[in-house]
Amino acid sequence: MITIALPKGRLQKPVLERFAAAGVVPEEDPGRSRRLIIPAGDDARFLLLKDGDVPLYVERGAADLGVCGLDQVLESGADLLTPIDFGFGRCRLCLAAPKDSRIVSGDLARAAEQGRSLRIASKYPRLAARWFGRKGVPVDLVQLSGSVELAAVSGLSDAIVDLVESGRTLAENGLVVVDEILQVSARLVVNRAAYRLKLEKLLPLLDRLEARG
Amino acid sequence: MDRLSRSAPPQGTQDLLFEAARRLRRCEAVLARLYEERGFAEVIPPSIESADVFGPEAFRALDRSGHLLALRSDFTAQVARIAATRLAGVSPLRLYYRGSVVREGAEASGVPRERLQAGCELVGKDDPEADAEVLALAVQSLHALGLSGADARVSVGTVGYFAALVQSAGVGERLARTLSDAIDRKDLPGLRVLCDREVPSGKARDALLLLAQPPRAQGDAQSLLDRARELAPDEASQAALDRLSKTLAVARARSLGAELEVDLGEVRGLGYYTGLVFNLYASGAPRPVGGGGRYDTLLGRFGDPRPAVGFSLDLDALVPLAAA
Repeated sequence: MITIALPKGRLQKPVLERFAAAGVVPEEDPGRSRRLIIPAGDDARFLLLKDGDVPLYVERGAADLGVCGLDQVLESGADLLTPIDFGFGRCRLCLAAPKDSRIVSGDLARAAEQGRSLRIASKYPRLAARWFGRKGVPVDLVQLSGSVELAAVSGLSDAIVDLVESGRTLAENGLVVVDEILQVSARLVVNRAAYRLKLEKLLPLLDRLEARG
Repeated sequence: MDRLSRSAPPQGTQDLLFEAARRLRRCEAVLARLYEERGFAEVIPPSIESADVFGPEAFRALDRSGHLLALRSDFTAQVARIAATRLAGVSPLRLYYRGSVVREGAEASGVPRERLQAGCELVGKDDPEADAEVLALAVQSLHALGLSGADARVSVGTVGYFAALVQSAGVGERLARTLSDAIDRKDLPGLRVLCDREVPSGKARDALLLLAQPPRAQGDAQSLLDRARELAPDEASQAALDRLSKTLAVARARSLGAELEVDLGEVRGLGYYTGLVFNLYASGAPRPVGGGGRYDTLLGRFGDPRPAVGFSLDLDALVPLAAA
């Protein structure tokens, strides 16, 4: 039995298409069903969960493999294998700030020298801290769970670190991208032990998933 | 004194009661008997050491005289200290141990802070026979605990090949770490991008890309090893592969086989290990239940440069799975 962690939300459809092309099809439509575990033939099943929880389920072995954005893989810090880049779900993790902000015009280190740490709001505290750490810029990180743009507009923070897809939400709120932190796309994540113990079953599946339809 | 009657033990530690304690002791006894039969002798190092014996993962504290001490985070470093000091010059040494280690920083991934381990070290012998002896003993440990067939896997590789490739490609230490991280995650797309951008083209680069390939069952591994040999850019990388092939041949002669997978991407622990590396997996455990390898430079840190190879088992993970 292979257990697959399937993310809810925008990745679900393209993920299911890739699995279908690889011959793994859920017995019910996960978009309609309210079941959280959906069988797919005799030898596989899908678990339905939030994309941010995928790394944890797979790391701890409740699922053998799963799909989520690279942002979630790295932010979770989970110890996983990431053998396939699906190429869809593309976006960028960016540092953004109000367009009249010092951060936009000057360099970061100088902006941070104004007497206090830069205040950064993000859903990605680990990735943000690591990026600023590498630049040697001290930051005061505020972890939010949504509407991150609001933080920079309302004065809660000087800037934000967030996913940017088209850039429209930023523009409509008077924010501009200062720097790109990470290129994100959907990744296959695999549990380390399952990869070895179920090698004979997983490898053919991985090959089929990788083949572009 | 405040009453502590409602305190749980510190996060990441646990009390083992009754049947759990009995099971642990039974498993330890099974392993101890196996190791004694194979000519290994027990050592019981102290639970605290001078902090510089261990790495940054150790739990440290100052004693009353101001010495920085650490709780044991790694038996191998202690066994190396013992071998290099009181047992200097006695070769070969076959030592085993059991007890707990404390490591900080891994709680988030569900790894306990205090872990129960057992393990073996073979000091003073540097040949494929020694590598295979230790590899075989690790596998037999799983068998002795009732884990075999489809329930146990061992992935075997060498850090020597990767180290030689990195050297040959003239890659700096920082990039080498990023490359080994991508290889360790089997992140072939990431590795390709890194190699295209940062590594000069040539055999070494092509060989690096080979390292993120999936493992092969031992019986099917020859083509992978042959390809790695074709791409080996120099003598050091050839030698690392030769050594791995010889070790696998000796292991086969010891009737090890079904459990072994060859994985050239076993590069974790670079800087500690110098040749053979392996990880043990058991059905029901989401991460490796043990691992080991050759560490030829560790004893030198204690003034007695001698080769050594060993492994340790994670008893917290294994005991609940054991048939004993």
